Amino acid sequence: MAYLAMFHWGWLLGALLLGLVAGWIAVVQRGRGVSKVTARWLAVLVAALVAAALARIVPGRPGYWLDLGLVMFALYLIGCALGSWLRDRALSRHTPPA
Amino acid sequence: MQRLFRWSSKWWPGLIPLVILWAIAAWSTTAPLEADLAAQSAAASNDTVLDKRRIEVDGRDVTFAADAFSEDGRRSAVAAVKAVPGVRLVNDETRLVAEAKPFVWSAGRDVVRVTLGGSAPLPASKSKLLDAARAALGGVEVVDQMNLARGAPPRFESAALLLIDQIGKLKDGKITISDTQVSLAGMARDLGGREAIAAGLKNLPEGFSVVANDIKAPPYVFQAYKDPVAVTLTLTGYVPDNAVHAALVAAAGRKFFNEKVVDNLKASVGAPGGFAAAVAPALGALSRLSTGTLVVSDREVNLSGDAFYDAASLQIRNGLGKDFPQGWQYKADISVKPAAAPVDATVCQQLFSDLLGKGKILFESGRATIDPDSAGLLDRLIETALRCPNANIEIAGHTDADGDDASNQALSEKRAQAVMDYLVKAGLPADRFTAAGYGSTRPVASNDTDEGKAQNRRIEFVVR
Repeated sequence: MAYLAMFHWGWLLGALLLGLVAGWIAVVQRGRGVSKVTARWLAVLVAALVAAALARIVPGRPGYWLDLGLVMFALYLIGCALGSWLRDRALSRHTPPA
Repeated sequence: MQRLFRWSSKWWPGLIPLVILWAIAAWSTTAPLEADLAAQSAAASNDTVLDKRRIEVDGRDVTFAADAFSEDGRRSAVAAVKAVPGVRLVNDETRLVAEAKPFVWSAGRDVVRVTLGGSAPLPASKSKLLDAARAALGGVEVVDQMNLARGAPPRFESAALLLIDQIGKLKDGKITISDTQVSLAGMARDLGGREAIAAGLKNLPEGFSVVANDIKAPPYVFQAYKDPVAVTLTLTGYVPDNAVHAALVAAAGRKFFNEKVVDNLKASVGAPGGFAAAVAPALGALSRLSTGTLVVSDREVNLSGDAFYDAASLQIRNGLGKDFPQGWQYKADISVKPAAAPVDATVCQQLFSDLLGKGKILFESGRATIDPDSAGLLDRLIETALRCPNANIEIAGHTDADGDDASNQALSEKRAQAVMDYLVKAGLPADRFTAAGYGSTRPVASNDTDEGKAQNRRIEFVVR
């Protein structure tokens, strides 16, 4: 994993920044979010992919792409969480709680 | 935390660019990543001696195939590749090099090339043997047909290097190591090469033994050619040493009274036993031919040429074999020179005088026994006598003035008679010849000097 991080730091940084932006926007977005059921299915899907990656059952290049995708996705999630938290703090500082 | 869940339901729009980013990343990094892992895996496995190494990278999975020369080496190479950072799985296709039993290595030589075949224990030793062969055989093509195999005996490499030195001494042949047993066959390049190889084999490393040494030496050849046109006797080939060389050239000078001896002999080891004892009488037989070639090859003597008359041809054909040491073979291909045209008595006398002016009939000191070295001269005299069938010839013996007159007279008579007997034995009619002795009464030179005495001791042919 350390090797992947060193080799792909540019791409991973991109995923992190993308997450920051998505998280920043998400706080004030008005549209509908993902329903709870869908979110649960998505969580199951991600867990299955993580399990497949850890078990190393996907061979060759698809296996590498899976690892890369999951690492990028993890950094995206971290970025989202950071972005949302930062946006939330920024909003609460400018507009005092009603 | 609850707020985080609420926000997270709206994080999905970013997934679309993320997927695009991921696709671009996957597309652009796969090939460099694979190349990087392949290079690192190759570097990691370099510490172990391997043959036929093949590294293929598919994503982060490495397929590692190689032939290892020991189980420890194989394991450590695989472990080293597994430890390369970034490698996810190693598909281990390594195996041990086959074990050769028996472990056979060979070096074969023919006219144009040397072929190294069989098994070598390691790539390094294989290239070392090839380099040694190229160095030892400067200019000769060296063909590598060696495989790699385990199971070489200890000190194999030094044994093989020693044998490569020996192959340079062969004209053709093959040297084989089978486990610790060495066998050799073929033909040595030079005379003495067989002995040099045998000496070299004494330095084989401990544990190795020679089971068969069938190296043959090239034939030991001595040749003599009597050329009647150039009036030369050409000696070529080999003699065992300088003493034999000098003795043979001296003997040739005595036997070939008329010819100039051209000496192209070289001294070399490897002569068959009894060489000098066989070649000297063979040269004597050659001296009796008008033109002829003597070829001595190992223990085989071949004489061919033209004798001066029938009886001589028979004598040469049958007589010579008896003079040879045991184990020698003698083949004579003797024809008779066509008889020369008859001449009258005056010319006949001239021919006799010419011959006896060039050479003298030699006798044992103080006795009337003809020296065998004079056989060539006597044959020429007989041939001349045959050309004048109507002439009566006196064979006159003369001595120097040493000793008392009575014994000189007797000796000169006996010697003249001995020559006459020789002529009669050769088939000439006895009634044409008279033998006469004159002692020291008719000197042709002063008896005060050794030179003059030598000239006075003589046989003359006088046509009447």
